[in-house]
Amino acid sequence: MTPSDLWVLAQAAAISLLMALASIALGTLLAVLLTPLAFAPWTLLRAGYRLYIFVVRGTPVLLLALLVFYALASFWGRISPYAAGVMVLTFYLAALFAEVFRGGVLAIPRPLWDCCKSLGLPRLSILRRVVSPLVARYALPPYLNVCVMAVKASSVLSIISVWELTLASREIIERTLDVYRVLAVAAVFYFIMCFAIDRLGRQLESRLAARGFAGERL
Amino acid sequence: MGQYRAWLEAYGAAFFDAAAWTLGVAVAAFICALLWGALLFFLRLNGGAWGARAVDAYVQLFRNTPVLLPIYLIYFGFPLVGLLWPASICGGLALVLQNGAYICEIFRGGYKAIDRVQHDAAKSLGLMPWIAFRKVTLPQLLVHSIPALGNQAVLLLKDTSLLSAITVVELTMQAKVLTERTGAAYAPFLVAAVFYLFMVWAIEFLTRLALRGVRWR
Amino acid sequence: MIEIRGIRKSFAGVEILRGIDLSIGAGEIVALIGRSGCGKTTLLRCINFLEDYDAGEIKLDGEVLWYRPPPQTGARRRYPEKDLARQRQRMGIVFQQYNLFPHMTALENVCLGPRFGQKLSAEVAEVRARELLTRVGLAERLNSYPAQLSGGQQQRVAIARALAMKPQVLLLDEITSALDPELVAEVEDVIRTLTQEGIAMVLVTHAMSFAREIAHRIAYLADGQIAEIGPPQEVLDRPRDKGLREFLRRIR
Repeated sequence: MTPSDLWVLAQAAAISLLMALASIALGTLLAVLLTPLAFAPWTLLRAGYRLYIFVVRGTPVLLLALLVFYALASFWGRISPYAAGVMVLTFYLAALFAEVFRGGVLAIPRPLWDCCKSLGLPRLSILRRVVSPLVARYALPPYLNVCVMAVKASSVLSIISVWELTLASREIIERTLDVYRVLAVAAVFYFIMCFAIDRLGRQLESRLAARGFAGERL
Repeated sequence: MGQYRAWLEAYGAAFFDAAAWTLGVAVAAFICALLWGALLFFLRLNGGAWGARAVDAYVQLFRNTPVLLPIYLIYFGFPLVGLLWPASICGGLALVLQNGAYICEIFRGGYKAIDRVQHDAAKSLGLMPWIAFRKVTLPQLLVHSIPALGNQAVLLLKDTSLLSAITVVELTMQAKVLTERTGAAYAPFLVAAVFYLFMVWAIEFLTRLALRGVRWR
Repeated sequence: MIEIRGIRKSFAGVEILRGIDLSIGAGEIVALIGRSGCGKTTLLRCINFLEDYDAGEIKLDGEVLWYRPPPQTGARRRYPEKDLARQRQRMGIVFQQYNLFPHMTALENVCLGPRFGQKLSAEVAEVRARELLTRVGLAERLNSYPAQLSGGQQQRVAIARALAMKPQVLLLDEITSALDPELVAEVEDVIRTLTQEGIAMVLVTHAMSFAREIAHRIAYLADGQIAEIGPPQEVLDRPRDKGLREFLRRIR
């Protein structure tokens, strides 16, 4: 493995990271729209939510990626693997994030809802000042877990020819047969990315805890 | 509709074959991962400070790297040292190593979920440590771990799809092959998805059954 | 029968027990009282070595427990696990939170110690367990799991479990504090009947009236030491220690 190979792997790692971050951002947005469905008063919406979660979480990411890739290709001709990849990751992460947020909402102790009701607070105000900060606090650890999963899931996209760290590694291996060193370097890159997210999370957690519960000056 | 019918009759067998492979690898790998994870957990508990650190390092390594890396490592790397194993075994081994780490953590969680005072009660009855472990700790640990283990089984099942990257003809690979062979756009992937969803549902059903079988909760 | 000398214990740099001396005779019942955090539970847990203590000696019937008597110039050394287990079997402990094994029935809970700790046969252990559970009034609930029993019932199983080892002394750590008020009486009744059996007891309690009724002596713990000790009439009605007077005033 030459230094230029090392540089290639570094670039590929950056691409993995960017894709993961993009999907995390988009996935979070989508999840914020999805989670309320789980609590909707209409059974159809709640069932729809559960169906979406079941299907997306029960199917391997690879299969989802292949499905989306080939389906989009049949409708729109050639599409960029990156676009398909980010799209798949977004839908996949949205399901995971939605469940995380839903868990956060459920973790709010029952008495708190009663308090809000008896204080006669307007709905939006409750959402902004009570629910969101608490959900953020409860959901932070599992949220970061999902972010780590996002980085790892990006490696699956290598199989639909998205050029990122795993694919780059495989290319170099097939060319130089330098299996152990290349994979060790790739592992180190992934490890740094995942570990950084983990550390960041712990810092955020302790900051939130230090400022009391919600970090919002009520 | 009739077109789909004919299509299914032609390729149904292939799918069931591939599903059998998926299930087979998943079950075998899960059982081995349970044993490996149990061993790691045991080492963590009784291996002293160094044992615990070694297991922690192992777990951190596999938690922070994608599972494709160990799959490639074994598939491409073993032949280099003269081990020419079939692809499914290579992939299965990688899955065992990866999931063993997660299962070790699951057992740790199950262990921590046991009220600390249970150990006090067992100790004060004058029970020797290993008997206390066998009769008091272990049953509770296993029961507390059931939900998370069920979840891990689902994750492992989904990870088998990655073995398509190393030529194992499991469900995902089969779907891909059929798509290219018949030009059927994306239908085979939907069929494969149905197979996976059914298997996931079955695992969740079995997990619920196992929990219900525990009389003392 | 029980000789406790010079027990010292620190937690994270804070000294909780600063030299406890206590002698308990055969069949004697001693109640430990004091403020929260004064070390009563810690002392109890040191007696049956659920907590390690930094200095001091505990003797039962003249035998030094937990640590081998130190040689002239060496540090003290713990007995091996087997001996520790055997020594623990001579004491029974009942915890505030019952601590029954949730995956075993009441009968199995009580059988566990005799069968696997004292290596009795399954039949002998079961006979003993049935007898004890009948004695605490749970003859109909032998095959119930803890989740199916009330707090008072669980605590009674816990007492039976502790007695199953035929201990010489029973340690009771605030055994009614976690119970709903209406369930306290049934547990206190069981303890009352036990006082006739001649088994020594050390009970940590907040229930002053109960302590007055059954204890031979009451010890007040403060600042890591026994500040005052004596018969209930003296300690509760004519306390000499200022801290004790303040404490009794607060809880009346």
